[in-house]
Amino acid sequence: MILRREFLLSALTLAGGILFPGANLFGKSPYPHFFFSQIRYRGGSWDTNPHFVEAIVEELEMRTSIDASRERRLMDLSDPDLFFSPFLFMAGNYEFEPFSPQERESLRRYLTFGGFFFAEDTLGAKGYGFDRALRAELKKVFPHQDLKRLPLDHPVYRSFYLINHIGGRQLVSPYFEGITLDHWTPVIYSQNDLSGAWSRDKLGKWIHECPPGGETQRSLAFKAGINMIVYSLTWDYKRDLVHHPFIKKRLSP
Amino acid sequence: MSLKEITLSPILPIWLIVILLALSIAVLILLSPRLRKRVGPHRVLWISCLRLSAFFLLIGFFLNPTSTERVEKKTSPSLALFVDTSPTMGLPVKDGGISRLAEAGGLLLKGKPPLLKALADRFEVQVYGLGESLRPLEAGEILQLKAGGRKGDLTGALEKMSSRNVLPVLLSDGKVEWKGKGISPLPLFTIPVGDPGEYQDIWIHAVKAPSIAFRGREVVVEAVVKNHGYRQATLPVSLKDGDKLLAAQSIRIPTSPAEIPLSFSFTLEETGQHHLSLSIPPQAGEITPLNNTFPFSLRVVKDKIRILMVSGTPSLNYRYMRMAFKSDQSIDLLSFVILRTPTDVLNVPLQEQSLIPFPVETLFSKELRHFDLLIFDNFPYHLYIKPAYLEEVRAFVKAGGGLALIGGPNLLDEGKYSGTPLEEVLPIEAAGKGDYQREVPLKARLTRAGRSHPITGLEATEKENVNLWREMPPLDGSNRVRVKTSATILLESGDGIPHPILAVERYGQGRVFVLATDYSWKWYMGMIARGRSHYAYYRFMERAVRWLTKDPGLDPIQIILPEEAVRIGQRKEIRVRVRPEEDSPEMKRVIQFSVFDPQGMKVGAEMKPAGSSGESTASFIPEKAGNYKLKVENPGGSVEESVAIYEPIEERDGLPEHERLMKIAESTGGKFLSPQEDLLQEIIRAAEKRESRYVEERAIPLWSHFSWLALVLTLLSAEWYLRRRWGLI
Repeated sequence: MILRREFLLSALTLAGGILFPGANLFGKSPYPHFFFSQIRYRGGSWDTNPHFVEAIVEELEMRTSIDASRERRLMDLSDPDLFFSPFLFMAGNYEFEPFSPQERESLRRYLTFGGFFFAEDTLGAKGYGFDRALRAELKKVFPHQDLKRLPLDHPVYRSFYLINHIGGRQLVSPYFEGITLDHWTPVIYSQNDLSGAWSRDKLGKWIHECPPGGETQRSLAFKAGINMIVYSLTWDYKRDLVHHPFIKKRLSP
Repeated sequence: MSLKEITLSPILPIWLIVILLALSIAVLILLSPRLRKRVGPHRVLWISCLRLSAFFLLIGFFLNPTSTERVEKKTSPSLALFVDTSPTMGLPVKDGGISRLAEAGGLLLKGKPPLLKALADRFEVQVYGLGESLRPLEAGEILQLKAGGRKGDLTGALEKMSSRNVLPVLLSDGKVEWKGKGISPLPLFTIPVGDPGEYQDIWIHAVKAPSIAFRGREVVVEAVVKNHGYRQATLPVSLKDGDKLLAAQSIRIPTSPAEIPLSFSFTLEETGQHHLSLSIPPQAGEITPLNNTFPFSLRVVKDKIRILMVSGTPSLNYRYMRMAFKSDQSIDLLSFVILRTPTDVLNVPLQEQSLIPFPVETLFSKELRHFDLLIFDNFPYHLYIKPAYLEEVRAFVKAGGGLALIGGPNLLDEGKYSGTPLEEVLPIEAAGKGDYQREVPLKARLTRAGRSHPITGLEATEKENVNLWREMPPLDGSNRVRVKTSATILLESGDGIPHPILAVERYGQGRVFVLATDYSWKWYMGMIARGRSHYAYYRFMERAVRWLTKDPGLDPIQIILPEEAVRIGQRKEIRVRVRPEEDSPEMKRVIQFSVFDPQGMKVGAEMKPAGSSGESTASFIPEKAGNYKLKVENPGGSVEESVAIYEPIEERDGLPEHERLMKIAESTGGKFLSPQEDLLQEIIRAAEKRESRYVEERAIPLWSHFSWLALVLTLLSAEWYLRRRWGLI
């Protein structure tokens, strides 16, 4: 199913491409500031939503000033380029093999010094499979920190959209969990399969339905994704005092 | 002469003299039997006695008997007339009258006959000017004396005279240095000058103010106003910063004398040295208006460095800069990130988005001056800021603000700075599109200027610094910019044909910095990836901010003032440190030091190299109270500093202290002489009491006296004569 908006945009883009062949009407930036890096890990299934990038990047570029790449960089945790990833993504359904000590140290170092990591259990089974394995690994990476539910005043709920719950392909938890170090939350975790909600095939058709909320739930997944991306690039910008009166006013009933 | 006046000083050891005496007696005893065979016992006794007496006398000479004569004599003291030349002696005795110093001169040189001449006829007289030290004066110099310098050191003067038979007489208003009772071995006679009854004055007695204040924060200054001779008066007191009035208030003077405390609260927005003063306008009949103003200095520093950062888009470059700034407690960051461009489409109502309006007008027309540094981070200004506001930015930099442009595709906003007021401010050519490229990663390399520049000098030594920059990770993107000839390139690309990466320039009072890359964050994460720390990136950002905001600690020329206050007439030493910042370091170490007094007149100053390299010691002697301006120049620029020289608090009150003179005189056993008395007779009487008697002693060695030699010869002759008469020879 293609939305009317998408059809119109495609038509306009096509027309623009003909009229202004040199123009960047696809919104693709030659110099993107954002791209996804996805971890290939051993065991389990690391690539549960191989087509999640296109739609979320398109949405990101349409709604925000961020220039993003539609490229998805796949890497192991031992890859030195890990440290230059603005957004490290990891997803899966099942239990995976434990990280090696070097991988854990690399991840710990990346996250401690400013990296950002979004993990999601696309199966959505609490205490089982990917969820259990990830929580165990994170405990080994940060022995003194726990994944905790992020409060509603966390910048990730306010970095672009003002949201108070998150969507996804499924609705396991309407909130993000995270590990916060000082004022920075380098680890955000969800079991709602946001990337499943973002996934679209080459014809522009959504790959998954989003029960029970349907398109509203998908829309919330996009908003949550954009907020996470903006958060990964701006840190706690929305905590600055200058934003307070506006956000307070908009959130007041 | 009595035996008590004869002293013995043996020229031989006593034991030897005793042996000689014993031998003499033994010889006499041995010879007496032979004599007795030839003459009767009476004659033996006579000859033996004569011989013994002669021996005793001869041996007695070895004891060196000396007679001491004592003669009692009298002498009159000489007179030491101290004329006080302390600063208050320059004040008039009464409104419009002669000075106290002139009054003192009159007391000595006028009258019939003049006191000085009359005294000189009877005594040995020496007149001294009593300042910080004693200065002997000729009679003709007395009326030319000038008051000034430091307070007269009476204690030191009396100590200097203490070994002589001197009668010290002081002519003073009582404002002398005196360390109290029991110091002087000489009785001091004091003659007062000045008239406490005629003294009318209002002055700022004391000011209690911090030496350092924070910009924009309240400062409280407390002061005490004192008065003599005025009552039931209302006076305005004003607090000024240079010539600018900061605050004013009225005080009520109820009685005379009175002490009125007051306080002022104010804030200062400009950092640097402020020359403040509290002042009261001169009043009718006031003896001196000089103490109506109290100058003091206040250094205003930034409590926080205020940065306004505008980023064209969320990016890692923004986030890592934000992390660096937020980690520095001295930085107050206000940032705006353009989250949505005018062409982006919003799919939700306002209530569901966190975007806030970018308050361009408020920021650039009103608030900009409250910031120390403006950063445009890959910011396409033309979409958000009216070109007219660029004039505000230019004025901001010219007035001393910092401007940083961070690279990226929008560094030069596709040439839109060309023809704007910022074109002349930037260290790079504004024309062109900024030519942003992401090709192969390129290394940043220090230029010669960059090796020692505060921004890029991250390590203690040049060698360590060059090595650190060699280790810095390469950058993935950069702008190909053209740098103006007036700018300084600190970093350039290290591969291929070098192109500038970091260029700096001064504009007006401010500083400008262009970092032609949006990948400086790789200097952070690249080092982390290698297992190193993020020190270099944080240090680079911290030093860039400090340089752009003119942190004095990074100035190539630094004037280091001493902590302690300096009094008038005392040499003030200042350390000057020059660090080569750009090319030709040797030439830039040639410096010139100038000092200007409170009236703007150049005064003598010295400068000599200090121990450490690039450091010198400069000095000058302030002759008056007020703010002195210090200027250090070298071909690379100049730095100005100022220093306040305070008049000592005790010298602000010019009231003659005749009672103090009385107490000083009493404490030394001297006398307070009123000018109404017959000073000549009083001094003569005092001198008579000081006439000293002494005993002159003379020592006469007896053995050298002829009579004693004659006596010995007589005794020996008599013995020879008797022996001859009695047929023993």
